[in-house]
Amino acid sequence: MIRRGTEKMKRVTRLVSTVVLAATVAMPLAASAADRSVKVLGWGAKSGPLKSFGVNSEAALRSAIAQINAAGGVKLGDGSSAPLEVISYEDSACKKDQNIAILRKTTSTTDAIVGMGATCSGSCQAMFGVLQKKVGDSSDSGVQMPILSDTCIRPGLAKISEWAFRNVPNEVAMYDKLFAWLRSENPDVKTFSGGTETDQGHSFITHTAIIVQAAVRHGFEWVGPSVPELGPKVKQGMKELQAAAKTQHWLMGDTNYSVQARKIKKQNPDMILVSSHPFSACGFLKEMKRQKVKPKLLVGLTSSASQETLNGCMSAAEGLIIPTGFAPITPEAVSANEIVSEAGGFLDLHSAAAWENAYLVKAAVEKAGISANSDTVAEDRRKFRDALASISESAGLIGPVTRDGATGEASKPYVYVQVVNGEWKVIHDPR
Amino acid sequence: MDYFLNLVNTIGIHTLLGLSAYILLLTGQLSLAQAGFFAVGAYTAAVLTVILGWGILPAIGLAMLITGLLAFLVGFPALRVRGLMLVVATLAFGEFVRMFFYNFRWRVTQEGVEVGPDGTMGFSEIRYFAEHGWTSWEVTSLIWVFVILVMAIIWWADQTRSGAVLRAVGEDELAAGTVGIDVTVVKMAAMTAGGVIAGLAGSLYAHQITMLDHHAFTVLLATFAIAYPILGGVSNVFGTLVAVIFIQGLLVEGLRFLGDWRMLLFGALIIVVMNVKPRGLFDSQTLRWIKSVLRLHLSRRIS
Repeated sequence: MIRRGTEKMKRVTRLVSTVVLAATVAMPLAASAADRSVKVLGWGAKSGPLKSFGVNSEAALRSAIAQINAAGGVKLGDGSSAPLEVISYEDSACKKDQNIAILRKTTSTTDAIVGMGATCSGSCQAMFGVLQKKVGDSSDSGVQMPILSDTCIRPGLAKISEWAFRNVPNEVAMYDKLFAWLRSENPDVKTFSGGTETDQGHSFITHTAIIVQAAVRHGFEWVGPSVPELGPKVKQGMKELQAAAKTQHWLMGDTNYSVQARKIKKQNPDMILVSSHPFSACGFLKEMKRQKVKPKLLVGLTSSASQETLNGCMSAAEGLIIPTGFAPITPEAVSANEIVSEAGGFLDLHSAAAWENAYLVKAAVEKAGISANSDTVAEDRRKFRDALASISESAGLIGPVTRDGATGEASKPYVYVQVVNGEWKVIHDPR
Repeated sequence: MDYFLNLVNTIGIHTLLGLSAYILLLTGQLSLAQAGFFAVGAYTAAVLTVILGWGILPAIGLAMLITGLLAFLVGFPALRVRGLMLVVATLAFGEFVRMFFYNFRWRVTQEGVEVGPDGTMGFSEIRYFAEHGWTSWEVTSLIWVFVILVMAIIWWADQTRSGAVLRAVGEDELAAGTVGIDVTVVKMAAMTAGGVIAGLAGSLYAHQITMLDHHAFTVLLATFAIAYPILGGVSNVFGTLVAVIFIQGLLVEGLRFLGDWRMLLFGALIIVVMNVKPRGLFDSQTLRWIKSVLRLHLSRRIS
């Protein structure tokens, strides 16, 4: 038996050695054959509750890059053209450690000049922390790799590192203008309340620091749990509001919303805020419908302006109003929407940003004049980053996207959409 | 190389977490509190380096001390119960810690920037290694010095009377008590040692990942902590390491393309191992077989 075991071990060792040798020989050959493409690597949540975000962003990114390549690819520093190539689109499962692992893998084992995607704000926060904070700071041993995100929307993330870039809407401006418009259009709506999923940083911070304050600023009266310090300035009374919000909140994985819905029903508000991602937003909306809660206005979180909301709770979401950075309202947006749908995805404010990012990469590559050789990867990444940082305006699907050089944050055009007869309809276009 | 070192670091940190549960398993205790101790170690060390400006080693040292003390205090009431009730009690502790950090806020302004734990928003920019110019090799070396040290101490203890006492309690508490072993003291010592090691793992994790929030310390992490030694076997410390390499290296990282199926595979694997190798992959029988194969191989070489 022992002899058999030894022979078996020998065979396994031989087999492994052969495979490793073959892989070692094949890798440089593969690299040399494809070294004149400009490589990017994407990642996002392709498993878990936020799976649809990664799936949609991947479809949008790959579709946009296919369009760019069909139109001739990108111009390199020496005047020649090369295709853009998505090496792979990895599943980071919305986990911090997996995002960091993919970032390090991209940096150290591939020729990608930019990492694209990353679904969750918390994961981006961790990943951006691993990057070098200030470009050229030799005392900082952080990772030097440009990252261009389409989905990490939590306010203030871009300042973590000069290597981090985001193409996400400015929620402060979106909600401020939304409530100003709702105020003028609905003079009979006076009071409001609402809930949020407190285990999701984006939902929670946007609810307490942005949405509620914007509503108060435009004359709506908060009738939720008492928050005496609540005021019209951004973040005024935020800590107190956070404590209060936790008394009528839910979590992303919750399946029962009856207590929260009953609580809000008792407050009898004219307007209800549902600051939550599609999955739990649908749970809460269905429970509201079951309890026959019928507010005059229903306002949701930006991330819920998606097909997932309609798939999950089309009738319960009827009337839901959300500001969004994407709607098929321009010829470019209509065309992109059709292409991505054919590729098996949906365009929403996040995946549309992934589409736009592909074109942003094209613009930055052409501005940087990179050589796209395997021996100039580090140099190309730096050139690309500098070019990306210098681009203050780019073409978005529904209008120009601008970027503030000081904060690193993008400013995108937006519209207000509402679920009408089971479909998202643009109800106001403030562009 | 950076990627592989990152993977090696993850394996090292999870090995420490698994070893913290391993010690308790030796005494027959199944604890889901390790994720809680891991979280306390992580937050403590991060607060010390980011807010108070401590060096990494003193910060790790104090984090280990605090988690050890906490484990000692938690051990008193928790170890009064056993079996499933202990699982529930330690699970409750883990959730208590998680919810504490979910609400814990301590923000200070440093050079015009707010830093520190921020409740749901987490505790970001724990950038000690990058800010102090540590290379990936240096970080890996630091982590693995601790891993080797802890493994060596546990291995050595296992060869001495202490190891025999731990295992005696694990095999049969009543019998151990009748031969004069103070079962409560042994269990408390194991709980405290487990807390210290989990605190060490947590403090390294915080600086490796650069951002902490309550999502990282769920019951899933506690499950992983006990799954490593159960899957690897408690015959010796190397079983935990092998299980971590298998789960973190192969299942989580190597099979990333499988998406949601990865976790399903993890669950299925535990069930299979529990049925096929109830004493773990690296049980004494397997070790004996490996030793005999190696001995035969060596004797052939010599002859």
